[in-house]
Amino acid sequence: MKILALRLFNVRRFAGRGVAIEGIADGVNVLSAPNEFGKSTSFEALHALFFQPHGSVGGEVKKLRPYSGGNPLIEADIALGTGQFRIAKQYLGGRFAKVTDLQTGRLVAQADEAENFIAGLVTGGTSGPAGLLWVRQGLTGLEKRGKTEEEGERELRRSLLESVQGEVEAVTGGRRMAAILAATQEALSELVTATGRPKAGGRYHAAIEDRDRLAGQEQRLAGEVATLQQQLEQRAKAARRLAELDSPGERQERRKAVEAAQAAFDAAKAQTDRLTAAEAELKLARDRRDAAERDFQMFRSALDRAADLRGKLQAAEERRRNAIDSRREADEAIGRAIAETEAAEAGEQIARNLLSRLDAALRAREASARLAEVKDQLAQAEAARLSLEQGEAQLALLKVSPRAIDELQALELEIAKLRAVKEAALASVIVRYEPAAAVRISMNGEALPEAEERTYDGQTLLSVPGIGTLTLRSNHPDTGDDRLHKALEKRKALLADLKAEDLAAARARQVQAQRLEAELGELRGRLSQLAPQGLPKLREDVAARAAAAVDGPDLKEDPDQVRAVFASSQERLKHARLSQRETEPRRARANDAFVEAETALAALRAEQTHVTSILGPENARSLREQDLRTGLDERMRILADAEAHAARLRATILDLDNAEASLRRARSAEDAATLEANQLREAIAGLNAEIRTRSDEAVEEKWRETGEALAAASARLSAFEKEVAVLQRLQAALETARSDARDLYLKPVLGELTPLLGLLFDDVSISFDDKSLLPQVIRRNGLDEDIERLSGGMREQLSILTRLAFARMLARDGRPAPVILDDALVYSDDDRIEKMFDALHRQSKDQQIIVFSCRQRAFQRLGGNVLRMSDWQP
Amino acid sequence: MFAFIHSSDLHLGKRFGSFSGDLPGRLREARHDVIGRLADHARAQGVATVLLAGDTFDTETPAPEVRRQALTAMAQHAGIRWVILPGNHDSLQASQLWATVRSEAPENVILALEPHVIELAADVMLLPAPCTTRRAGRDLTDWMNGAATPEGALRLGLAHGAIQGFSEEAVAADIIAPDRAMHAGLAYLALGDWHGAIEVNARTRYSGTPEPDRFKHDQPGEALLVRIAGTAALPEVTALPTARFSWRTLPLHLHDGDDPAEALARLLPEMHSRRQTLARVIATGRSRLPARTALAGAIAHSAPDFAFLELDDTGLATECDVTDLDQIDRAGSLREAAEALLLEAGNEALSAGDREIARAALARLYSYAQAVAS
Repeated sequence: MKILALRLFNVRRFAGRGVAIEGIADGVNVLSAPNEFGKSTSFEALHALFFQPHGSVGGEVKKLRPYSGGNPLIEADIALGTGQFRIAKQYLGGRFAKVTDLQTGRLVAQADEAENFIAGLVTGGTSGPAGLLWVRQGLTGLEKRGKTEEEGERELRRSLLESVQGEVEAVTGGRRMAAILAATQEALSELVTATGRPKAGGRYHAAIEDRDRLAGQEQRLAGEVATLQQQLEQRAKAARRLAELDSPGERQERRKAVEAAQAAFDAAKAQTDRLTAAEAELKLARDRRDAAERDFQMFRSALDRAADLRGKLQAAEERRRNAIDSRREADEAIGRAIAETEAAEAGEQIARNLLSRLDAALRAREASARLAEVKDQLAQAEAARLSLEQGEAQLALLKVSPRAIDELQALELEIAKLRAVKEAALASVIVRYEPAAAVRISMNGEALPEAEERTYDGQTLLSVPGIGTLTLRSNHPDTGDDRLHKALEKRKALLADLKAEDLAAARARQVQAQRLEAELGELRGRLSQLAPQGLPKLREDVAARAAAAVDGPDLKEDPDQVRAVFASSQERLKHARLSQRETEPRRARANDAFVEAETALAALRAEQTHVTSILGPENARSLREQDLRTGLDERMRILADAEAHAARLRATILDLDNAEASLRRARSAEDAATLEANQLREAIAGLNAEIRTRSDEAVEEKWRETGEALAAASARLSAFEKEVAVLQRLQAALETARSDARDLYLKPVLGELTPLLGLLFDDVSISFDDKSLLPQVIRRNGLDEDIERLSGGMREQLSILTRLAFARMLARDGRPAPVILDDALVYSDDDRIEKMFDALHRQSKDQQIIVFSCRQRAFQRLGGNVLRMSDWQP
Repeated sequence: MFAFIHSSDLHLGKRFGSFSGDLPGRLREARHDVIGRLADHARAQGVATVLLAGDTFDTETPAPEVRRQALTAMAQHAGIRWVILPGNHDSLQASQLWATVRSEAPENVILALEPHVIELAADVMLLPAPCTTRRAGRDLTDWMNGAATPEGALRLGLAHGAIQGFSEEAVAADIIAPDRAMHAGLAYLALGDWHGAIEVNARTRYSGTPEPDRFKHDQPGEALLVRIAGTAALPEVTALPTARFSWRTLPLHLHDGDDPAEALARLLPEMHSRRQTLARVIATGRSRLPARTALAGAIAHSAPDFAFLELDDTGLATECDVTDLDQIDRAGSLREAAEALLLEAGNEALSAGDREIARAALARLYSYAQAVAS
């Protein structure tokens, strides 16, 4: 789209008149005029034509109206790809909107259709945002940020990115978006906090509280209703029970039961008393019967006893008499036994005396015999002593030392041995006779036997009868055997010592001495036998006996006879004593028997006395027995009566315990019923009060009401919840779309912007991050600068460049749009402005740019198509 | 000939907590006024007996003023005999209520508190079956079969409860035999519990409530005038209008292109009756965003005419096409957002709730876009 001309009438300062700006060309168009010349009015009129519906009576429209009143009329000629059109709108009075084809003069659209036509121009159809690109004096965008925007410096420090984003939003329909988003957020903020929680004091929160309050109330009331129903039920139950208890029939019945039980109990009690009395009577009767029976029995047994006693007494007396007799007999027997014993003792004494005398005589006789024997023994002992002394003297002469003999014998053997050795060295002669030889050779006169060797020393002479003699000589030198000589010498000395001629004599003397020694031993034995304690002792004994020897009496009696008499007397005494001992127990037994008999008799007599006392006088006894018998019979009859009476009572007796228990039960049943009835009345009274209170409070109605209110509140709450969800969803959708749009358009715009930036700021480079689209570095004069701070001039320059970049993007898409600047460069210095102009011209090759400015001088240098305002009347 | 009015389910004292403002009070008042209207009908028809078949009171513990004023109102119409039967809402378990009522009841109020024969007139015997508890668990009309009445007397039954499936509170155990009238030799069995009038058979009817209290039945509140010529004759029944308020469920089926405001206007009752009308508009079918917005606007606009008016549009599907979206924006971020929401609203892969949220968000976007339209 391109704008060809703008005309306005009755707009603001142009009350009742109009101006026209004709001949708007391609490329850069400049309307440079001083302030208050209608430049800004033209700008606003153009803006209104495109953005304010003709029916609008909003502030923007009202601002167009002159102070003096009137209906603003605005029209613009535009060129589109499809042809040239005139858009005309009149606001307020006589409002209209129409689009006319300039070539044909045909009315293309009017009213709403005309608005749609215009909107199509502004928003560029369905394929994307388009429209006019506007930059106002001191403002970087068209969105309603005025208030904060105009705070100036602070706002000017906004980041580059935000600036660019703001521009993009401004050209992507951001104003409505912002309004809708704001409306959404406002609606949402009434309900929830930024974090999505129900906002305190908000309607949503109130709905939640309402619901919770009602839920609590409902629960409480439900509880109360339940309680009430429970109480009603309890009371109904209690009332039913009470009615049962209180019904006259039941009450009567309980009363009757008590009375009946009482009567039964009283009857049982009376009966029991009677029975007790009867039992007492019975016991008395039984006692009396027993007493009578006892008396009678006693009497009867006394009678029996009396008869018995009579017999027993006789027997006892008999036994006593017998005992006396036997005692007397025993006494006599004992007297006899004692006399016999005494006689025996006297006889034994005589015999004993005689015997002792006899013994004395015999001992004297034996002593004199013994003295004679000892004297004889002493004589023999003294003789033996004499023989012994003689023998010992003889022995002393004969006694040879056995060793000397042994030595002699050894010496003999030595001599013999030595001689044998001497002989062995001698020459010998042996003769063998012819068997027929009758002569025997003799040697030194001695015949030589056949084959017997004979030795000789020096020279020997053999005589052979018949022949002559033979002299044999051995010229064997004598060796002079000294040992033999010495042995011979020693034998000679020994024999001299022994006073024996040779060994045999010595041995004979030794034998003789041994024989004598044996005889002496025998003698010594005899002596020690005769006088074992030595001769002196024996001699003393003899002397003692001789001195003691007296002459005993001379007895003629035969000792044996005397002894026999003594033994028989002893025998007799023993016998007598034995028989006396035998007799003594007999008397004791007789005494015992007597005592026993006497005792038994006394007992019997005492008993008889007792029995007699019982029985009374003999003549009254049968009468008394009769009396006793009658009394007993009478009492037995009374007892039988009493027993029968008691038995009758017992048979019909009522159980008192049972009766009492029944009575207790009946009474307790009545009491319990009364108690229960009272309790029930109390309970009912209590329940009454509570039920009445609750009923009067109409708790169930309240409960139902609350329940319904709760349902309504819950529904309201869920409506709120849904509302919140809807708003949140809408907000999310809007924000997503906006951020998507940012991504969609910002990036291409940045792509267009970069070369423009280079054009304007040859000493500054700005680089952007591809992904975040954030400016990364500003380098000015080789130095990195704080990206957060931008000067006002730089900011407005960026703002214009952004629009140029955006317009370029649209143009490339085949949808060219004019860029309209109203004093957009107020903060920029001239140097920058010139650079800006270069940029604009460079852009204007394929772009319509319309510049409104009051800086005539500065903008003269801009060049381009200079526009003039002329008067216009529609 | 014996004639009486059969009504039930007055639910005196019902509070209507789900409504707000003075409507609950008005609804309560209307219930109380039913007594007067029944009496007026009785007088007009020359009838001296009104049988109330249960649920005279809404709860077992009605507020004292509800109870007293009801009895006073009945006493005021001295020429009419009111027979009150305990129903499930005001069963005999509410001993306090009935004890109090008994002590307060005027002479012309007969309390049918026991299953005993009550002589209404010469040769007219009433056999009541009062509810002993909220849920008796047995058929309380059983006793009527064997109940002795004088030879030739007219036997009338009075009971409260369900006859299979008609129950207001759907309890299965204690069901009144539908053929009780036949078996018990009843000339007429007056039933209560179901809030809409129903003819079970020629001799058995529910009168319905004289003053409706919910949207369920969509029937006008009425009472039955019953005339019985004799034991053998079938009862002659006439419905008498009694309701002050009308509860209406209004189905609104929309097609794409319908003007909802117009359709609604055709649907809504006469202007003069709206004050006494509680209406629920159930919107179904399909509509576009503007129509939907328009419908909501129309409802909001008409609501003040009514005692109560609400729109249930959960059954209304939203149609949306390019034109509707153009109304939001032809292009740009807003358009993108609108299209995203539209897509989501039609995305079967999402839950119905999420779709509904998206749909509502789109509708909201539409209405905001209209509001800020430059």
